[in-house]
Amino acid sequence: MSAKSTVVRVRPAGYAVVKAGPRGRFLLHRRASLVAAALLGLLAAVCVAYLCVGESFVAPGEVVKVLLGQPSSAELVVGTLRLPRMAVGLLVGAAFGIAGALIQTVARNPLASPDIIGISQGASALTVGAMTFGITSYAVLPHLSVIGGIAAAALVYVFAWRGGLHATRFVLIGIGFAIALRSVTMLFLTKGDYLVAQQAQIWMTGSLNGRGWAEAAPLAWTLLLLLPAVAWAARAQRTVTMDDDTATALGVRLGRVRLGLVALGVVLASVATGTAGPVDFVALLAPQIARRMTRTAQIPLVSSALLGAVIVVLGDLLARRLFSPTELPVGVLTAAVGAPYLIWLIIRGHRGRSGGTA
Amino acid sequence: MSASAPAPAPAPAVASRTPRAPRLTRRTTALAAAVLALLLAVLLSLAVGARSIPPGEVFDALLHGGSSDAAEVIRTMRVPRTLIGLMVGAALALAGTVLQGITRNPIADPGVLGISQGASVAVVLAIAFAGVHTLTGYVWFAFAGAAVASVAVYAIASGGRGGATPVKLALGGAAINALLVSVTTGVLTTKASALDEFRFWQVGSVAGRETEVVQQVWPFLLLGVVLVLSVARGLDALALGEDVAKGLGQNVAAVRITGGIGATVLTGVGVAAAGPIAFIGLAVPHIARAVVGNDHRWVLPMAALLGPVMLLVSDVIGRIVFPPGEVPAGVMTALIGVPFLVALVRRKAVPA
Repeated sequence: MSAKSTVVRVRPAGYAVVKAGPRGRFLLHRRASLVAAALLGLLAAVCVAYLCVGESFVAPGEVVKVLLGQPSSAELVVGTLRLPRMAVGLLVGAAFGIAGALIQTVARNPLASPDIIGISQGASALTVGAMTFGITSYAVLPHLSVIGGIAAAALVYVFAWRGGLHATRFVLIGIGFAIALRSVTMLFLTKGDYLVAQQAQIWMTGSLNGRGWAEAAPLAWTLLLLLPAVAWAARAQRTVTMDDDTATALGVRLGRVRLGLVALGVVLASVATGTAGPVDFVALLAPQIARRMTRTAQIPLVSSALLGAVIVVLGDLLARRLFSPTELPVGVLTAAVGAPYLIWLIIRGHRGRSGGTA
Repeated sequence: MSASAPAPAPAPAVASRTPRAPRLTRRTTALAAAVLALLLAVLLSLAVGARSIPPGEVFDALLHGGSSDAAEVIRTMRVPRTLIGLMVGAALALAGTVLQGITRNPIADPGVLGISQGASVAVVLAIAFAGVHTLTGYVWFAFAGAAVASVAVYAIASGGRGGATPVKLALGGAAINALLVSVTTGVLTTKASALDEFRFWQVGSVAGRETEVVQQVWPFLLLGVVLVLSVARGLDALALGEDVAKGLGQNVAAVRITGGIGATVLTGVGVAAAGPIAFIGLAVPHIARAVVGNDHRWVLPMAALLGPVMLLVSDVIGRIVFPPGEVPAGVMTALIGVPFLVALVRRKAVPA
């Protein structure tokens, strides 16, 4: 063996090297891939169940027929009523899952998620304020909530920036703004009459009621357009997970990477909020559950997205049927789907680092 | 705030000054300044409002009674309001300080950990299903709710291996919070009448409370303060890490449980008397640490003084900012507190 033969590459434990073409090589975490595959199967099952169950039960065979575009008697119920609403739920859940994963990664705190650091509260303040002053058109409100969410996040970022983005500083200032904006929203709630309060309450809980292709399309386009950014984020995450000195020594521009990750998370969370309202805790629970399942150092993006989708679709299925004929907003049930599982994972307690430095 | 210059520390017997002396003076000064600020805030709370009353008359009404209109206003409305503000401000600030200490998480507070939400759920259920519609009736429900939520969080966090680690406490709190919020919103979206009543309570206010509420909660405030002060040293040890704390002879679990019970009782006091007033539990501990350092024997009293200052001043500003209406204290604390917190957090690395 000559001295200048092959370069020895050390492969981290639990990873497999995937070769894609002559130059493309990337690491794949074995367990994470398995978890993602399992979650994909679970999501498919949940989606089929969503399409089958409702006022009238549709057999899975018929559902598959509709999905394949074959003529079927269930065309109207499945294709026109349930499918678009399910698509919205799926996209909203995935967007919240990714957004939560990115923001928790940058903040290095499992409690940092869009609904805790002010994005949801900014969206709510603007939307509920508009409702209180008589703007109730669903052609306007979603845009307002996107603007509100992004504006709140921009404010937090500007105030938290001081020669760099310190994780704890960012989260603390975010929570400060979240509390202030929430208080303003509560004040708006007391100003209008109670019908407005009721409408606002349902919006703030998060609901898929009356959502269809018109809402799903822009959300789908946004996610598609952001896909390259998400792919970049999955790689960039690793550098942010290290401690600052190591990352800087490796030549990572931490400030830029963090800004990119946070910005992506904010846009995803805001667009999802504009579509369905701030469905609380999906962004907090999905990444934490995903991480505990994969046991990776960083929060897995794909699994977070899949889990977010599972939580929202399953949550909406329960919200539609559990107390029928009363339909609850999906936000009431999302926590009931995700939280117990997270609690079980915490109690079962896998040894090892769990969810950022607290 | 300008405090009168402190008396110089007595010259130590040794020629070289010990490093303790100047620090002690600085802390004592800060504490004195906080006491002054609190007295000022109390005076403002008694004197300012829709009807301004000069300080002289305030003292007159307090000391000699009298039956003038001004004296009536002070006795029946402003004294209870001020007392509630004092109690709630101190209770929430202490609860936040302890929770940040036992979870070792700088963003822990009664709201984030779900304890306030536990109290809220209980109040929602009381309104919707038990036919309770008075503030004095809410009190016991709020207490019970806070207690149940805390026990649940601790039970979750201490399950499994490794006991109640900071991350598990924080996440357990978040999970419980999620469940409780969904119960609250579930009831509110299906029972319009409950929402109509609850939306006024959940803003958080110290106005319109009877003296009866003060009488109901003060024993609990006392109990909570005693519990919290008893774990001051334990919190200092915990700040150094769990292993170090054990090495220093601290019983970590006992500190967490005692502190947790104290924080729960205090949160119960705050939420029962004034509704879920946010921000004080989160921000005041950071401000107190910025002023007196990390020694909890100083941080706790400082927080107990600064909490009521923040709440009373917010309440006074809320009375005069949009006359003739009032902005509830719960909203004003957040609006006034945010610039404070931002300035503080930007000024230095955050002491966690």
